[in-house]
Amino acid sequence: MSSQLVIEDLHVEVGGVLVLKGFDLSMGSGEVHVIMGPNGSGKSTLAHALAGRPGYRVVSGTVSLDGADVLALSPTERARAGLMVALQQPLEVPGVRPYDVLVAAGADPSGLRGRMGDEARRVELNPDVLDRFMNVDLSGGERKRAEMVQIGVLRPRYAVLDEIDSGLDVDALGAVARRLSAAAGEWGCGILAITHFRRLLSELVPTRIHVMSDGRVVATGGPELAEVLERDGYEPFRARAAESA
Amino acid sequence: MTTFADAATSFIERQPNAHDRRRAWAAFEALGLPTTTDEVWRYAPLSELSLDRFASTTSSAARADSAIVDGLVAHAGLVVRVVDGVVTSTGTALEGVSVTAEATVSDEALAQRYADDAFAQLNAALAPTTITVRVARGVRVARPVVIVHRTEGSVSFPRTVVALEEGADATLVEYYEGGKDALVVPMSEYHVGENAELRLVTYQRLDPSAWHVARSTGVIARDGRLLQAVIGLGGYYDRSRNDAVLAGAGSHNELRTTFLGAQSQVHDFRTHQLHLGAHSSSVLLSKGAVTDESRSIYTGLIEIEHGARRTDARQTNHNLLLSPRAHADSVPNLDIRENDVRCAHASSVGPLDELQRWYLESRGVTPSDAQRLMIRGFYNEMLVALPAQLAHLVENDVTAVLESVTAVAS
Repeated sequence: MSSQLVIEDLHVEVGGVLVLKGFDLSMGSGEVHVIMGPNGSGKSTLAHALAGRPGYRVVSGTVSLDGADVLALSPTERARAGLMVALQQPLEVPGVRPYDVLVAAGADPSGLRGRMGDEARRVELNPDVLDRFMNVDLSGGERKRAEMVQIGVLRPRYAVLDEIDSGLDVDALGAVARRLSAAAGEWGCGILAITHFRRLLSELVPTRIHVMSDGRVVATGGPELAEVLERDGYEPFRARAAESA
Repeated sequence: MTTFADAATSFIERQPNAHDRRRAWAAFEALGLPTTTDEVWRYAPLSELSLDRFASTTSSAARADSAIVDGLVAHAGLVVRVVDGVVTSTGTALEGVSVTAEATVSDEALAQRYADDAFAQLNAALAPTTITVRVARGVRVARPVVIVHRTEGSVSFPRTVVALEEGADATLVEYYEGGKDALVVPMSEYHVGENAELRLVTYQRLDPSAWHVARSTGVIARDGRLLQAVIGLGGYYDRSRNDAVLAGAGSHNELRTTFLGAQSQVHDFRTHQLHLGAHSSSVLLSKGAVTDESRSIYTGLIEIEHGARRTDARQTNHNLLLSPRAHADSVPNLDIRENDVRCAHASSVGPLDELQRWYLESRGVTPSDAQRLMIRGFYNEMLVALPAQLAHLVENDVTAVLESVTAVAS
């Protein structure tokens, strides 16, 4: 099934400050897109705005998922429409267990514990930590992998992953990247991975790389773009952003 | 028309120990009902309280057991049944446990102990029987002793005394239901002997029209442990004062109060932990939610007497506001007359965390399910601390009540 996620001219304000200033991106199912950019370029703001986080105000622009207006949907409806965001810092929800959240989110309870365990093992997470309250007493890396379990169980059409590499050691990062690549094949999941480190790309082969600076995409290319970034850093791209401003 | 005073006097004159009861009644009349100008009664809707409302002697028809009673009975080792403060059954005897029901004796000592408490004096004057549960020295009671209190008439003055002798170990449930348009004034005393452990669940599920003014006092001897859970779901005005005297060295008290308020309910919790023994410790945790126009009050006093060295006392109070019209007050107090102690208190009042809720929604959970999961999560630590045989039963009941409340709220 072919599907399209299209973000056009997105402007987002946080705390009265305009952070996204005309962000554009278009991707299809089964594709792996990576957004790279320095701190402060607006990467996390994009992830939060897509998930409808309170305090992130869309000033203008559109986001559509197979023609449906994502911005008109509530956070719940966005997830149920197939757009799911894995956060850079997944929140603790004391007293609430991941199993109950997944059931409430629409996962089939039949065999769910088994699927959670399988997904946990695929990202080298001890399944026992999923018996704890959501993200409570989990390390940063465990939380990231717990979010991968959610994605593996709920199978969204598009998964947006904000700094999925932070807090993960090389082995765990490899496992996560392999899981994501497999998801693209297994159910045509579109992967939009946000990072400022190139190391994610050693395992996750991108269809497209987008370089972000000052709230918008300033360069788009194939995997070779990562090598340019590795060699020259973000500085040349900043300059390009300043020229076009 | 019969006034409450007429009905009370007529009851007292028919009792064998009318003399003591007359004294308590006189003390009550001298004190009078409290008013909201008394700080400790500030939040009670006392202007709506007229005792004459409760003077009628008509009783609602006896009803079949509720599902919760069935559940409690199924888990019980011994069931005591009380209707309007009168013991109707003391159950089947258990080895090492005695249950007696005798005409209440309200002696001078009792009158002194509750000298400034008008409702306690009412109980002293009008409690028909005193239920005494005694667990003999060293006896470990495997299954809970359950006291089912039903209020069928317009008033109910239950009086309970629980005594665990040295080294005894028991779980006791005091369950309250019924009480439509009634006044229910229970008074309980718990004596925990040396090295004994009493796990106590006070479960109040009265009709939403009932006035409930309860008082309990635990006295804990050396190395004794009183672990008390108080759950308040019912009542129009639900006042529950739970005191503990940590008399012996190394005595320990845990008190967990849990409540849920809806409509115009008031839950008014008072605690007083008095540390006399060295190395004594107390842990108080109060957690409740209020919705609609309901209101909750938590006032806790930890008092540490000179000489109660190495005492460790903690009180924590968290209140969840589920409606903009609901209100919660939290007033923790410390009164410490000893230097070598550890004391801590913390309290919070606020709505469900907006970001946590969004986080669950962003996984695809609906707003009402996110709220339901979070409220259950809020109560979780209270429910898991209940005695194992009862945790599941109470959790299901609380969850059912929560569902009815959140369904309205969302």
